[in-house]
Amino acid sequence: MIQMKPYEFMVKYTQQKDWIDGRGNFIAFAFFLGGISGGLYMAAAYFDNLLGMFVAWLLALAMGLSYMIHLSKPLRFWRMFMKPGTSWIARGFIFIMLFIGLTTIQLILSQWVPGATTAITVFMVLAGIFAFAQSIYTGFAVSYVSAIKIWNSAIVPVLFVTCGLTGGLAILLAIMMAGDHAQLIALENIIRVVLIALAIIIGVYLWNTTYSSTAAKDAVKRLIGGSLAPLFWIGVFLFGIVIPIVISITTYFVGEVSSGLLTTAIVSEIIGGLALRFAILKAGVYTPLLPAE
Amino acid sequence: MRWGMAIELKRCVGCYECVLACKAEHFLPPDIFWNRVLIGESGKYPAVTKLIYTVRCNHCADPACVKVCPTGATEQREDGIVWVDEDKCVGCRYCMVACPYQMRSMYDDGKAQYFPGQELTEHEKMGRELYPHALGVVQKCVFCKERIDSGMALGLTPGVDREATPACVINCPTKAIHFGDLDDPNSEINRVIKERHGHPFHPEFDTDPSIHYVD
Repeated sequence: MIQMKPYEFMVKYTQQKDWIDGRGNFIAFAFFLGGISGGLYMAAAYFDNLLGMFVAWLLALAMGLSYMIHLSKPLRFWRMFMKPGTSWIARGFIFIMLFIGLTTIQLILSQWVPGATTAITVFMVLAGIFAFAQSIYTGFAVSYVSAIKIWNSAIVPVLFVTCGLTGGLAILLAIMMAGDHAQLIALENIIRVVLIALAIIIGVYLWNTTYSSTAAKDAVKRLIGGSLAPLFWIGVFLFGIVIPIVISITTYFVGEVSSGLLTTAIVSEIIGGLALRFAILKAGVYTPLLPAE
Repeated sequence: MRWGMAIELKRCVGCYECVLACKAEHFLPPDIFWNRVLIGESGKYPAVTKLIYTVRCNHCADPACVKVCPTGATEQREDGIVWVDEDKCVGCRYCMVACPYQMRSMYDDGKAQYFPGQELTEHEKMGRELYPHALGVVQKCVFCKERIDSGMALGLTPGVDREATPACVINCPTKAIHFGDLDDPNSEINRVIKERHGHPFHPEFDTDPSIHYVD
């Protein structure tokens, strides 16, 4: 956290605090939950894993709860449907509600009316679309803020979706660990590809952002070598990328690894996803209005 | 009609009277500022320039805050004034995050007082009756719209008549702040902007501010 004197406000790089301090922590948490919920649903739908879809539904509910805690007037939440024309938060809220509603119907049908395959497929596809929308909107909500240059990048939505997908795949791996071995291998293959993609996207994002403006460069410096470096290198890089990739590559060459090692990779990936959301939100700084010196 | 300001930087002495006038006018709680004075420096010794900017919501013609508000609580009137309907605000703070000028505040500490541990001052007590601030919603400069509206109802002209003009403008001891209609080519504010080459603060933010600064 940057310690500022009152007279330095907007005269030096001023960190955004509204979405990271106090109640603001809950929106970072909501973005994380939305990402993994969407990622898990898409992955679970691909593998036709009902328990995975149910956990994704639970995570979406948790996202909604986290959102509510973030609001200082939660009882007025219904007003958040009012302006989907221009507000990404309003759009996102609609996506979450539709995802929860459609998934509820699909889960009920899958559990109690398994013969209604057409209806199940229709609702699964629709829920899948909104799972993706729920996952990507968190990135758009952040990247839309042109005042914060490190956020204002077209790569952010892609980054958030990919990160959500890695978290979702990790949870699905935990769910499927005791199941069919062939499906497990297929899932691990997908995880390897997505993890490497995530590492590349993070690298491209940071590299690209460095050249967008001085404020963004300052934010990236803070991330990789300043006050946020421990969060970035330990949380995002070590837990989110290195540990899962090393374990994932080990499984490829060794064949079968212990469930303990797989659990480590799963937990590590989830911690990494959470750390990424916090790191990016914490790195947001505003361009000073006056030159400080 | 579009209300705006022209601020003469050479006249501003950084006395903070505009900040205090706003605090008093709206009975603003501690740590809530609808306007601020920013002080910086440019250049290197011996060629150093001290920069003093009195800043407040720019009531932009293309405001980021209005677009991002999910509930429609942040609204823009026909006269360009951007304000927050405290009955609609859910406190998501998206508008605070989106404002490149950082001119919004969240009032979330109802117990804050100017002299903690002591009784409320008479001014604070009066403020809680006359100008109650809703807890947990976003606040910002409203160009003293209540003064403008009541003044115009009496046939007064904002920017000319004291009773219809924002508090920060009428209380400026050096008359550095001009207020008026930007759409009126004959207004005082337009004359100042045209003759003295007024420019908005950070036009690169691309929000078309209604406040212009003249050197």
